[in-house]
Amino acid sequence: MSATETMLLANGFGPSLLVAGFRFKLPLHSAVMYIMTHIQSIRLLAACALTAIAMQACIKSEPPNPEADIESFTLPDSLLTGEVFIDQSNRKILLYLEPEAFDKGVAPVITTTKGAKVSPASGDSIFFTGGENVYTVTSASGENRKQYTVEVVSIGEWDWAFEKWLIHDKDKYQYVIEEDGGQVWSSGNPGVALSGVPKQPDGYPLRATADSESGTYAAELITLKGTVLSNLVGIKLFAGSLFLGNFDVSSAFLEPLKATQFGQPFTGKATRFTGYYKYAPGASYQDKEGNILPGVTDSCAIYAVLYTGRTRLDATNIHTSDRIIATAKLPDGSGRGHFTRFDIPFTYIPGRSATKEMMMAIVASSSKDGDQYRGAIGSRLVVDSLAIIQ
Amino acid sequence: MNIRIFIIFLAAFIATGAQAQHLEHRIQAGFNIGATAPVGLPNTIRKINSYRPEFCPSLGYELSWRPTKASEWGAAVGVKLDYKGMTTKDEVMYFHTMITMEDGSGKSEFEGAFTGKNKTTVRNAYVSFPISATYTPNDNWRLHLGGYMAWLFSANFYGNVSDGYIRNGSSLGEKVNVSEASFDFGTDMRRFDAGLQGGAERRVGKKLRVMGNLSWGLRPVFPSDFRGMDFPMYNIFVTLGVTYRI
Repeated sequence: MSATETMLLANGFGPSLLVAGFRFKLPLHSAVMYIMTHIQSIRLLAACALTAIAMQACIKSEPPNPEADIESFTLPDSLLTGEVFIDQSNRKILLYLEPEAFDKGVAPVITTTKGAKVSPASGDSIFFTGGENVYTVTSASGENRKQYTVEVVSIGEWDWAFEKWLIHDKDKYQYVIEEDGGQVWSSGNPGVALSGVPKQPDGYPLRATADSESGTYAAELITLKGTVLSNLVGIKLFAGSLFLGNFDVSSAFLEPLKATQFGQPFTGKATRFTGYYKYAPGASYQDKEGNILPGVTDSCAIYAVLYTGRTRLDATNIHTSDRIIATAKLPDGSGRGHFTRFDIPFTYIPGRSATKEMMMAIVASSSKDGDQYRGAIGSRLVVDSLAIIQ
Repeated sequence: MNIRIFIIFLAAFIATGAQAQHLEHRIQAGFNIGATAPVGLPNTIRKINSYRPEFCPSLGYELSWRPTKASEWGAAVGVKLDYKGMTTKDEVMYFHTMITMEDGSGKSEFEGAFTGKNKTTVRNAYVSFPISATYTPNDNWRLHLGGYMAWLFSANFYGNVSDGYIRNGSSLGEKVNVSEASFDFGTDMRRFDAGLQGGAERRVGKKLRVMGNLSWGLRPVFPSDFRGMDFPMYNIFVTLGVTYRI
């Protein structure tokens, strides 16, 4: 230590350092003295602290897009009997094709999530004579892949025994498929899956039951209590539903009545709607707010609606659209202890006539007013052997 | 458990202090301004649209000790009622969340990735116990640095998400449009917080001083099994106020 430094220390200037020939004072007293002479320093201190917070709050660069959706799948109208439906819940592209398009193949125009890549590419032809057509979408981030299977939907026979059921991979609800694996029926289950019900088949309002009229299985629809999460959006019960058509999950929160897309392409003349059902209404009927209404008994709904066009009707207009040409409705939705056959002739609305493009909807619900979230928890409807007689 | 040890410590400190040469008692009052926030924003937060401190008073008592009145170094302990809060509006992208709610009839759970707008309001009340080393270079200034422990007795952490969509399960799940949905994570919050704190006081009257103090929580405010937000958040607040020696 040099004499100068010793002297400095003795004078109370604090310890110093010799770095590369330069002398740095460790500003213990002096810095404090300096700050003290500046009254605004307390503000400085606060500002420093806030800056520290602000600095760590810097916005980082945008994460690469991890999403991998097919957002649209477009074919010329002339090739279609019904609008293409992308079933995002089951990762399927449902096509309703004219026979000629089925024979020759199609070249869809595809759009994906921004930045994602799809294979086969948009505009490439696909054919239905060989194996499955599977589209693979890779996200812009590269890490995520999603596969969509193309399914050509055609209803050969308009009768159903509800024998083949599958379980959704992630959410574990059941859904019914055709003998050939096709998907023509849907339900509210994909929407209920968003509300945090237990991920098991009997956590959902539509499931298979061995309590069947014929064959091994039938469709069981049960009105279930809402969850804590669904209560947050004002849903206190989930009615069991089963319908010909698709469930558009993107609308499930915003416009739930539009999520149920009723109907499948239909040709010919419908004369009667037949089937078997049994029904046990739940004990206490409740309104939308969950108040029990004494003296009110729940009832079920089973109906078929034939309408023109190929844009599907939904729960907002299935009873009121002026495209409806004929209906067949179960007149009495009260309890039935045993399987009961119904055979209802279609009632054609005078002045409205069949066209080339038509859709047939069949809708069943364990609570008739379930679309308004009214009904009785526990109401149970079982349907089997449904048919449209042409 | 911890609180009991602390009280014993405090009592011992006061008892020792009784024979010591110089004890000071102060009342502190001020406001907390800051954030309950992640340290380093995750890239899923795209934009902070607004930030507003909540009304967050801080009121406390501090006991400080120095070997002699002339001593520069000393120690202090305190007890404070601290409200810590804020309201922010931000925009998020692919934000992973899991919401778990329970009532008498069971548990319901939703996991997904949200893109859209978020509004979060935090207003928590803590009883906190700061412990500091103090440095008093002269009559005008006093600096201190130390740690704190705090117990949460009233928790609010709620808000809503809007104008966006949520994907069921993860970014590969189906997209569900959301106009508005609320969340409330208040009951999930940890009851105990601890961290570092330090600051300065300047004399402005005979017994009155203005003070600035930064407290930086080192313990995430949510437990590690909480999945509502997939990053840890900390209490980072500045107290601006006055102290009055009694």
